[in-house]
Amino acid sequence: MEDVQVVAMLVRRCISGDAAAWEEIVRTYNRRIYNICYRFAGSGDDAQDLTQEVFIKMYRTLSTYDSSKGAFSTWVTTITRNLLVDHFRKTKQDRLTDSIDSTASEHEDALPLSEQIQDQSAPPDAHVRSREVSQTVHSALGKLSPELREAVILRDLQDMDYREIAAVLKVPEGTVKSRINRGRAELARLLQRTYRQVM
Amino acid sequence: MPEPTSNGMQCNEFDALLADAIDGVLSGAQLDRFQAHARTCAACGPLLADAEAGRSWMKELSQIEPPVGLVESILASTTGIASDRLLSPVRPSQAQVSWLERSRAWLASTIDPFWATVRQPRFAMSFGMAFFTLSVALSVAGVKPTDLRQVSLRPSAIRRTYYSTHARVVRYYDNIRFVYELQARVRELKRDVSPVQPGSDKAPAKEKERKNDTTQEPEQKQERNYSQTENAVVLASAPLGPSVNDLPVVSVTTYRRLV
Ligand SMILES: [Zn+2]
Repeated sequence: MEDVQVVAMLVRRCISGDAAAWEEIVRTYNRRIYNICYRFAGSGDDAQDLTQEVFIKMYRTLSTYDSSKGAFSTWVTTITRNLLVDHFRKTKQDRLTDSIDSTASEHEDALPLSEQIQDQSAPPDAHVRSREVSQTVHSALGKLSPELREAVILRDLQDMDYREIAAVLKVPEGTVKSRINRGRAELARLLQRTYRQVM
Repeated sequence: MPEPTSNGMQCNEFDALLADAIDGVLSGAQLDRFQAHARTCAACGPLLADAEAGRSWMKELSQIEPPVGLVESILASTTGIASDRLLSPVRPSQAQVSWLERSRAWLASTIDPFWATVRQPRFAMSFGMAFFTLSVALSVAGVKPTDLRQVSLRPSAIRRTYYSTHARVVRYYDNIRFVYELQARVRELKRDVSPVQPGSDKAPAKEKERKNDTTQEPEQKQERNYSQTENAVVLASAPLGPSVNDLPVVSVTTYRRLV
């Protein structure tokens, strides 16, 4: 996907202090990183903060990137994923407190899926409808365990191959495939249950 | 197809082939055996159907555009040079214009239970001590409110910070280590807020220092998983990662003093 030599050159220029090269890297990868973060963390605010963190980390550790060990995009995805793990563990405490806190969250994510769909009566057109479906799938994705969620995101949204995903997650390819299978199946079951309730 | 009738496939073999089958890369006898197993196995048949459905659902998710100004804000927090030239007016102005107002309204609704705890004399003493130290540390460190440009002042971020702060405060309020933690955090803060020194990546000496610092260990060497317990928060020595998220600790708690 990426031109190895072009990227290697960019990285070298960055390390030697070329700000324009760094800007190019940021412009090339911010969308990808933001999307992974958004789909994993669930909220745009978190995704924005996390994307920023990923680039700060990248900027600091750019010189440790070794092109002989794998594609730059795999390296970038690994940094992203590791920060998502940290974020997940850090916010676990918050979520525990949140669930004790009786004041209901203002986020629509807090509603059960079926209620979210019931709210969306008679979508005016196909565009709106597809956005609603997308929102519903997004919510369901957030209900998967993080191990399954990340595997499905990397495969189905980022179109990474199993070998790359295995490198990012540091598990064997067989485990990657198994997590993808279970993640997809679990997602389908969540959504089937939802749609069956409503329709 | 040598043996179209033989179907010796086990469930675990089916599972191993499932992803490839959905990718459409199975063929020949293998595909036949796979399909035969799917038809006859009560567990694997539905699994195939669900996994296929799940993949279709995932295709409903489109790529979304990052918010306006994200690139500029990343550049500002890394190289620093872009801050004046490029920094988008969107986020900073939102944050600066009325954050005090918005924080006040928001805090009023959430701070009450916390405030009740804080009012206890013993707690208030420690709390006051801590923030006196923090204020001193802040001014010594030369951190000004304007330096906290990247601070996230959105309610969700503040809320998050409020809870994490609350949790720590309750755990350690009577322990002087709390103060050290805050000081450590201020140092972290200062390091994180200030743009990374351009060219720091190429300096070999600094590189070695970072290598000794486990927080900067190359990502590749760290095994990470989601279930790892993390309750043992180490205080002053805690290698809190580059954490823009943690920044509001300062602004929020400082503000509480003013309430
Ligand atoms: Zn079976």
